[in-house]
Amino acid sequence: MKKRSDEYSVQNNDTMKVSAFGALWLHLMCGFGVAIAFWVAHQFYSINLISDPAHSLLLVWIVECPIVILLYSLLRDNSAECSYLKAVGRGILGLPAGALVIALGGIALGAPIGTRYLLGTINWSLLMSLFTFAPAAAVFGSSWADWRRIFANTRPVGSVDYMLCLPAHGAVIGSWFGAWPMPLDWERPWQEWPVCVTYGGLAGYVVGMVASLCFVIFSSRRPQQQHVKAE
Amino acid sequence: MSAMTCTRLTIWTLCGVLLQMIGFSVFVLGFFPVKPTLVGVSGPESYRSPANRSTEDFNFTGTSSDELRSLFWELSKIPPSYDRLIFMVVDGLPAEFVLGKDGQPPSIAMLDAMPYTQSLLANGMAIGYHAKAAPPTVTMPRLKAMVSGAIGGFLDVAFNFHTQALVDDNLLGQFFRIGWKMVMLGDDTWLKLFPQLFLRHDAVSSFFVKDTVLVDHNVSRHLPSELNQDDWNLLILHYLGVDHVGHIGGRKSVLMVPKLKEMDEVIKMIHRNNVLSYDKDRGQSQQTLLVIVSDHGMTDGGNHGGSSQDETDSLALFIGPGFKVPQYSSYTHKSANQVDITPTLAILFGVPIPLNNVGVVIAEGLDSLTDDQRLRALELNSWQLLKLLAAQLPDLSCLSLASDDHDDDDRWSTISTCDGILKGKLCCLYSNAAVLHNLWRSKNILRFNSSDLYNQTVWAYYDFLSSASVWLSRRVTDKPVGQLALALLAMFLSCLVVLWLLFCLQRESLKETLCCIDLKYDVQRWSFDEIFALMVVLILVISMGSSSMIEEEQYIWHFVMSTFCCILFRKAMQSIPVGMQSSLGNGLYKRRYSEISSFLALLIAGRIMRGWHQGGVNWTHFPDISKWLEHAGHSYIKSIQLLSGILIISLSLFSFSMSRLNRSFIFQVKFTFLISGLLVLHHIMKYQDNTFLSSSYNATVMAQVIYAILGVSTFGTVLASPWLTPALICGEWASSDTQLSASPSMDAQIRCVLAGTRESSYLSGWAYISCWCLLQLLLQQPINSMPVFLLLVQIWASMNYFCNDELHHKQWVQVSALYFLGMAGHFGLGNTNTLATIDVAGAFIGISSYSTLFSGVLMFSITYASPMLFLLSLVLYISVEGTSFLGIPDDADLGPLLKMRVAIPCLVPLGINSILLTVYTIVLLQMRNHLFIWSVFSPKYLYVCATTVCIYIGLSIVAGTQIYICWVCSLRRRMGMSLMTDTNKISQKWQRSYFDWALKEGQ
Repeated sequence: MKKRSDEYSVQNNDTMKVSAFGALWLHLMCGFGVAIAFWVAHQFYSINLISDPAHSLLLVWIVECPIVILLYSLLRDNSAECSYLKAVGRGILGLPAGALVIALGGIALGAPIGTRYLLGTINWSLLMSLFTFAPAAAVFGSSWADWRRIFANTRPVGSVDYMLCLPAHGAVIGSWFGAWPMPLDWERPWQEWPVCVTYGGLAGYVVGMVASLCFVIFSSRRPQQQHVKAE
Repeated sequence: MSAMTCTRLTIWTLCGVLLQMIGFSVFVLGFFPVKPTLVGVSGPESYRSPANRSTEDFNFTGTSSDELRSLFWELSKIPPSYDRLIFMVVDGLPAEFVLGKDGQPPSIAMLDAMPYTQSLLANGMAIGYHAKAAPPTVTMPRLKAMVSGAIGGFLDVAFNFHTQALVDDNLLGQFFRIGWKMVMLGDDTWLKLFPQLFLRHDAVSSFFVKDTVLVDHNVSRHLPSELNQDDWNLLILHYLGVDHVGHIGGRKSVLMVPKLKEMDEVIKMIHRNNVLSYDKDRGQSQQTLLVIVSDHGMTDGGNHGGSSQDETDSLALFIGPGFKVPQYSSYTHKSANQVDITPTLAILFGVPIPLNNVGVVIAEGLDSLTDDQRLRALELNSWQLLKLLAAQLPDLSCLSLASDDHDDDDRWSTISTCDGILKGKLCCLYSNAAVLHNLWRSKNILRFNSSDLYNQTVWAYYDFLSSASVWLSRRVTDKPVGQLALALLAMFLSCLVVLWLLFCLQRESLKETLCCIDLKYDVQRWSFDEIFALMVVLILVISMGSSSMIEEEQYIWHFVMSTFCCILFRKAMQSIPVGMQSSLGNGLYKRRYSEISSFLALLIAGRIMRGWHQGGVNWTHFPDISKWLEHAGHSYIKSIQLLSGILIISLSLFSFSMSRLNRSFIFQVKFTFLISGLLVLHHIMKYQDNTFLSSSYNATVMAQVIYAILGVSTFGTVLASPWLTPALICGEWASSDTQLSASPSMDAQIRCVLAGTRESSYLSGWAYISCWCLLQLLLQQPINSMPVFLLLVQIWASMNYFCNDELHHKQWVQVSALYFLGMAGHFGLGNTNTLATIDVAGAFIGISSYSTLFSGVLMFSITYASPMLFLLSLVLYISVEGTSFLGIPDDADLGPLLKMRVAIPCLVPLGINSILLTVYTIVLLQMRNHLFIWSVFSPKYLYVCATTVCIYIGLSIVAGTQIYICWVCSLRRRMGMSLMTDTNKISQKWQRSYFDWALKEGQ
């Protein structure tokens, strides 16, 4: 493990380092994407997450999709060997694959199955995939070592790792907590699947972005810190 | 730190368990007191003094209702004052709205809201009482209290959970017996209580709390026609509107005044039509009494259920032609108890007072009677209470005092001031009253002016009645604080003991691990799965404080369990190496794939079980697989039942054949289990062909045969398996084998003993599991057969996962995962935290005559099928888990061996459960005034207690089996050592079977 992280830190030094400003810009864009999508849904289609969860989610992920994939593709690993278009392609492929994994995970954790909920589940898992797997696919492609480092071990090294890892974990953990009010008998419309899970996921995503920003700023101030941490 | 020896560990654990047992049984008895109730109904014998134990029996079963009515009249010497009763229940109406509070009239708004009722009160045509209701102030128990006069304990409800019908002696039953016709309009609780009693009824459900208009309209629309009918004697009206208004907007809701106006209109209509009109149309013979009661009050927020002044302040209003109290000040604070309504109505309508009544007749209610009749009524009430007292205080000695063979002077001398302890005081009060009554009777005959004596007698009777009533009702509602605190302390201490033991063991095993293996991984650091296992306990503890979470507990277990699986999955992913390198990685990959497939099996099986029963309380109407199957038809259920039966049998047989014990023995075991499995399938095919079970003689015999075969084969396997391990020759082999060492290696011997115990506990574990699954296949509802198979799959998958310990899970994490799986499965089988889902039908399979014990045992095993299955699987777990070889003790003594194998698997479930039990006890104490204390929290507490019992039983089976196996193995090793000198005695057969085994072991 120790040896491997050394390798990565070496690798990371080769690749483009993201400045704190760049990270701020990227996260702001991602956040604004979601906000704009909700505004559009409210303004032009007069729907919101509670009145029509499936279509609002559809709108959100369609607006968010180009922003996330195009932006994160800029941060691709090995930029010398891998062209920008290839990274975008990887992101686009990663989106449905990640959505499948997330949908299956959600169903295993108790998401309702049925035609009534099908559209909502699909759109929700696509949105969640945009928060978690699609950017990682755009950046890393199919490199198992990187995937394992980010998602199985949660040991981010370097600013790109933070920007991938923390928002993704935030979104997943937020969704997990968001599922808790669902079975309660408060008779509120937002207790429906997947409304409160989406709220939780969005909140977690925002918290994750803020945290990743903090880490990026912190590590750009003291660049040697990450080596100590990795070991 | 000195290592804890096995004996000390056992003693401490047993102390903890004993303390816990004492604690929770004392708590249950203190919190839910069981009061002895009298069974049966009171008949003519209630008009006779309890002292008069004549053998003459009234056989009134054959008498017609009219004869019975005149018999009652004759015996009681009190003619019924009224013929018809209109019993109007205004749900949730606080007495304050009508009668004011603390001697003050109600607020102007309230006075204006009910003008007609207020005018009745002001004119003295009605008498109103603040009728104190006993907690729980919820509708059904309060209705029971009003019609039976008894305050039921919670366990009374729990013990007859199969029916909600009121089986105790009650007013409506008495009315029915004297031939009354009854009509009910309103809340359907009445129909649940008295399913067959009503001539006509129109019930509305109280479920839709938001509706305040229709619920009352549904009652009122029948009123004009019903009031003009004269075929009924009792008309029950139950208006829910006021309660619903309170639930929505509280006491001061804007809807309250219009709702009260509506109620006033109803009262006006009834009073004008029926009560007043008796002498005009129908003549003297049809006198109607209108009784307006509320079942409970409400808090400022409109809630009820607890025991605060606002909630218990309910109304009792008697309106009848007989009530003309001239100087009646309407706002004096007249208070009574809610249960007092029962004896008053019983006396007024000439029926015996119900047996378990604790109420006292209301004095003003008897104004229409003569002095003689009034004293007689008090006497009847006293006799009834005396009988009830005698049932609770077996050596009550005052029953014989009431004989009247004394002179007058003697009698006067016996009257004394009463004080002292309970029994003596009650007796003394009663005898005073009885003596005065007799005196009054004799003077009355001699035409003395006796109003003074009369008043004295009435006072004496009320002295006795009120103190008896207070004592009797306190028996039910009072909670002995000291006892509860002591019980809680005991539970808390036992919890601490168990957790301390666990902590010590964990530290010890950590030390052993540190010295035994190289530090490839960080043992000191807490990994995420361990943190999550602790978090699960925390989540459960937190969720117990919320009634909604308790109602929907199945979601929590499933969610937490699948999250746990996902976390373990993530952990498995961590160790998948990078790149497809070398042949060395090949085996590793294979193992990872088998791990991943066991996760998938766990997750999928868990999800299917989650979808099988919707469960819970609030969302039961949502679609689920069981409803879909029941809708699809019986043949589908039957084929699924058969399929899961076959799958269970084949999975068990396959697992048996994995055992490396003596072949022919394994064959026998497989054969007996196959036979019993086929018998179970035959039983399913032949006798369970309808949704209800046929209870024919053949079915019963067959079920008994299945019980017998399963029992014999399981216990036979468990008893025989340690004797048949090839460990006997192990020592000899170790000494003769040149590859290991020249001298008999102690280490190898111990390894052999360990391997032997492993093999036999593997076999015993599968014997228990298969036996339990087949039993459940027979007992559970047909729809539950597939979940039973899924539980078996989950056990299989988790054992498959635990058997390679490359991921270095701590043992306690694995055991707690099994415990969580068991609880998730408990809810997956359709159980909930309400008593309604207990399957009573299955509890009579194979029982020829009714026996509470056997059907109770069967009911318990059906309800706790899943936790018990997972506890039994601990025997199997002990055989497969990988850490047993870590700290091999120096000598293969019984103690350390046992401690190594049994301690953690037994202490972890015990520890988790004791935490949950202790915390829930605290929650229950805190929630004792909560609205849902009787409907949600108390049933849940019973389930928690039953789970505790289940864990005791399961763990004692596990520990017993392990102790037996280890004992036999060490015995055999010692025997083997002595036999080693005489090699001739070792039979050829043993050697052959051993070599087979050794070959496999080597592979």
